[in-house]
Amino acid sequence: MQEERLAIHLRDRPAQLREAKKNGIKIIGYFPGNYVPEELIYASGAVPLCLVHGGSSQPADAALTVVPHVICPFARAQIGERLLKNPYYSMIDMLVAPITCQHLKKVAEVWEYYGDLEMFKLGIPHQHDNDFELEYFTDRLRALKDRLQTFTGNEITDEKISEAIELYNRMRELLRKISSLRRTSPSPVSALDFVKLNHASFYADPAFMVEVLDSIYQELKDKQPTVKTDVPRILLAGPNIGYGDYTVLELVKAAGGEIVIEEICEGIRYYWNKIESKGDLFKSLARGYLVDRVPCAFMRNSAKKRLDFTLKLIEDFNVSGVIWYELLCCETYDSESYYFAQKMGEQNIPVLILESDYGTSATGQLKTRIEAFIEILKGEIE
Amino acid sequence: MIELLKLCGFEEREIESELPRVEKAFNKLGITEEDIERGKQRLTRYFDVEFKGVRKALRLCVMEFANGVVAKEVGKKKVLAGFMAPGLDVVGSAAVSKSGEVFSAHHSWAFLLVASRIFNKAVPVLEAAERKWLKAGAVTHCANVKSFLGEFALDLVSKPDLIITSGYACETAPKTLDLLHEFYNIPLCCYDTCQDMDLSEDRYATKRAVDLSAKSIRKLVERIQDIVDFEITDKMLWEVINARGKMRIASGKVRKLVESSDPLPVSSTNDALWACLNTLTMSIEETDEAVDAINTFYEELQERVANGKGVVEKGAPRVLTYCPPNYPDPTPEYVIAQSGIAVVATSFGTSLPEEKLYPLPKTGLKDPYEAMALSRQRTSNNQNLRQRNRMIIEECKRLNVDGVLDRYHIGCRALAGDALLLEEAVKKELGIPVLLMEWENFDPRMYKQGGFERRLDVFKSMMTRKSG
Repeated sequence: MQEERLAIHLRDRPAQLREAKKNGIKIIGYFPGNYVPEELIYASGAVPLCLVHGGSSQPADAALTVVPHVICPFARAQIGERLLKNPYYSMIDMLVAPITCQHLKKVAEVWEYYGDLEMFKLGIPHQHDNDFELEYFTDRLRALKDRLQTFTGNEITDEKISEAIELYNRMRELLRKISSLRRTSPSPVSALDFVKLNHASFYADPAFMVEVLDSIYQELKDKQPTVKTDVPRILLAGPNIGYGDYTVLELVKAAGGEIVIEEICEGIRYYWNKIESKGDLFKSLARGYLVDRVPCAFMRNSAKKRLDFTLKLIEDFNVSGVIWYELLCCETYDSESYYFAQKMGEQNIPVLILESDYGTSATGQLKTRIEAFIEILKGEIE
Repeated sequence: MIELLKLCGFEEREIESELPRVEKAFNKLGITEEDIERGKQRLTRYFDVEFKGVRKALRLCVMEFANGVVAKEVGKKKVLAGFMAPGLDVVGSAAVSKSGEVFSAHHSWAFLLVASRIFNKAVPVLEAAERKWLKAGAVTHCANVKSFLGEFALDLVSKPDLIITSGYACETAPKTLDLLHEFYNIPLCCYDTCQDMDLSEDRYATKRAVDLSAKSIRKLVERIQDIVDFEITDKMLWEVINARGKMRIASGKVRKLVESSDPLPVSSTNDALWACLNTLTMSIEETDEAVDAINTFYEELQERVANGKGVVEKGAPRVLTYCPPNYPDPTPEYVIAQSGIAVVATSFGTSLPEEKLYPLPKTGLKDPYEAMALSRQRTSNNQNLRQRNRMIIEECKRLNVDGVLDRYHIGCRALAGDALLLEEAVKKELGIPVLLMEWENFDPRMYKQGGFERRLDVFKSMMTRKSG
């Protein structure tokens, strides 16, 4: 029922946004990674749209006319979707580009190079142990506010930001609650459904999304597991799950495994923390988006922090194995895969490392490796 | 060995005192008699060792290499090792100028120059890194970073008391040092900035990014002070900055002479040496020696120009190369010269004119941290793509080149990511040929001579046809 409502909403969303544009509402895109506070965009009266399409080789390949193959397929897809005139990518009036990894930084440069779009590059300090780094980010958020005000012609008041924070806090809280239901076995919601729900939250109207998430949570929380299961419970880790990049999720399910939690930087909305909606709102946004979270791999000294968080998830979600899913040419996550595999190995947690360039030719190999991994996990459970 | 050291500019009288240290370092690297012979041949073939200036520069590089390998064994109490850490050359130089017990090196330039470019010993070091977390294959990790990791994996360098990096243009370096910290328990310090200037700002460096970088470098200095146990004052930093400024002036004279001479007086096989010299973490005294090396080279080069001697024929097609030379392997540059193409300049990290720097320093900068931060921010590889292309196009016009050779370092996302659009921009605006060479600047295994020669032939004929 709710899924159907959401599907209809997403189907109609591009037309709805085009109509909004006609009425003078700005559509403001941004790249994923959870470093751009949508609250500010929302408070400006514009529509925030996270550009998170991935998983298909066609846009990634289309971008090879502009950037070489060492730029990761997800980043290339962000160029390719625009070249191929994806409706969402074509309708945005302004892009907020967080300066995170070299890949997305390059995408921002390429978009900027063509010069047909207003752009704000949001500098993300790659560490935050010192006050001046947090201050820098806070100042850049203030600069973003100024730019948004000028661009949209709307004043961004503290009251509007506070309301936006509360709306997005509610969305994060509901996603966290739904995700946490997967602590039980069997999970009341599959990873594929959860990830799709999470992705929908980047494109749907946020107020509508909150309403849908709330209804879904109410339905799921009372749904008690009826059958005990020995299906291997898996944690999915890695840099990125784009909107449409569902092959691994589907293969795991088909092979008899169950992904019960994700630790992914880009593509999954970060829902573990709440942002303070009172006091100095820029400071609380800066803290929430930079400090009070698990850092992505491009951040300095991040490996240990994310490892500790992952180990905690493994315990909390009663995980028996880890699938590390990385995109080809993502150099930071590839380096970390070695570190994670070593550290997991010390704790006898099996790890399967998979790579994808979004090509379909490798699907057979992925399938075989996932099936073998799940067989191993099943053997350990027995 | 003695003969090799002489080729590298060591005087008779110092060979006696330096030989044990150099020998110890060479032994650690597994340099055999056969390697020494090969080294001598490569030095004679690929470096202009008939120039005294070149020999003097080689000597400084060999010294830093040897000290880096055996620092602790020869009594250095504190070792600082930087990687992709611009600014450490200044800070480290200030520390080593103050205390003989400190060794600081900005790896892995001297290591690459000596171990790889002279002795052709890069591959085992790279393979050692590939057995760790910088694996071989399609992921295409940067081989420069691999060489740094490989040095640790093979225990080739003294264990540092602090490893230092920045993320100005690279994430692989900070990630690798993060993991070195985790696996080898070596303290780590990163300093950073944000490259978030957008086109609407219409300048080459923003005050905010320079300030952030300056504050971050200040934190680094505080960390180093804790380790070396003495204060690094602003005055000490200025002394180094000023001493190194003389190096820049001397190098600028050489560059101008090379650019304006026909026939081209010197091969670009030497570029790696001068680039290496620029990154050494020398004391003030050694910096003066480096200035002397460059000035000596300049005088010798003037003489060669006056005699009308060149490494290619007069009127040879003039080329601007983009990205640094192939570091461990001098063959590609050698082959370019052999093919009759004149590499008149290498544009990498080109400094910018002053007019668009954030508020112009009217009376000169007072804060050495700001000076260090600014010197990094104002280079071409810190600009956005459109500005970078513009700078390269302007450089092409100024040098009146017939073509651009973009030998883009595929292990570096920042550099490689630009190549296709740079080609498009240069061709569109200047109508000159651009040869894109996808290669690894730090991995000799990626270089295939036959294919390179064929592409150079076609490139040369395109330039000749165009200008003829």
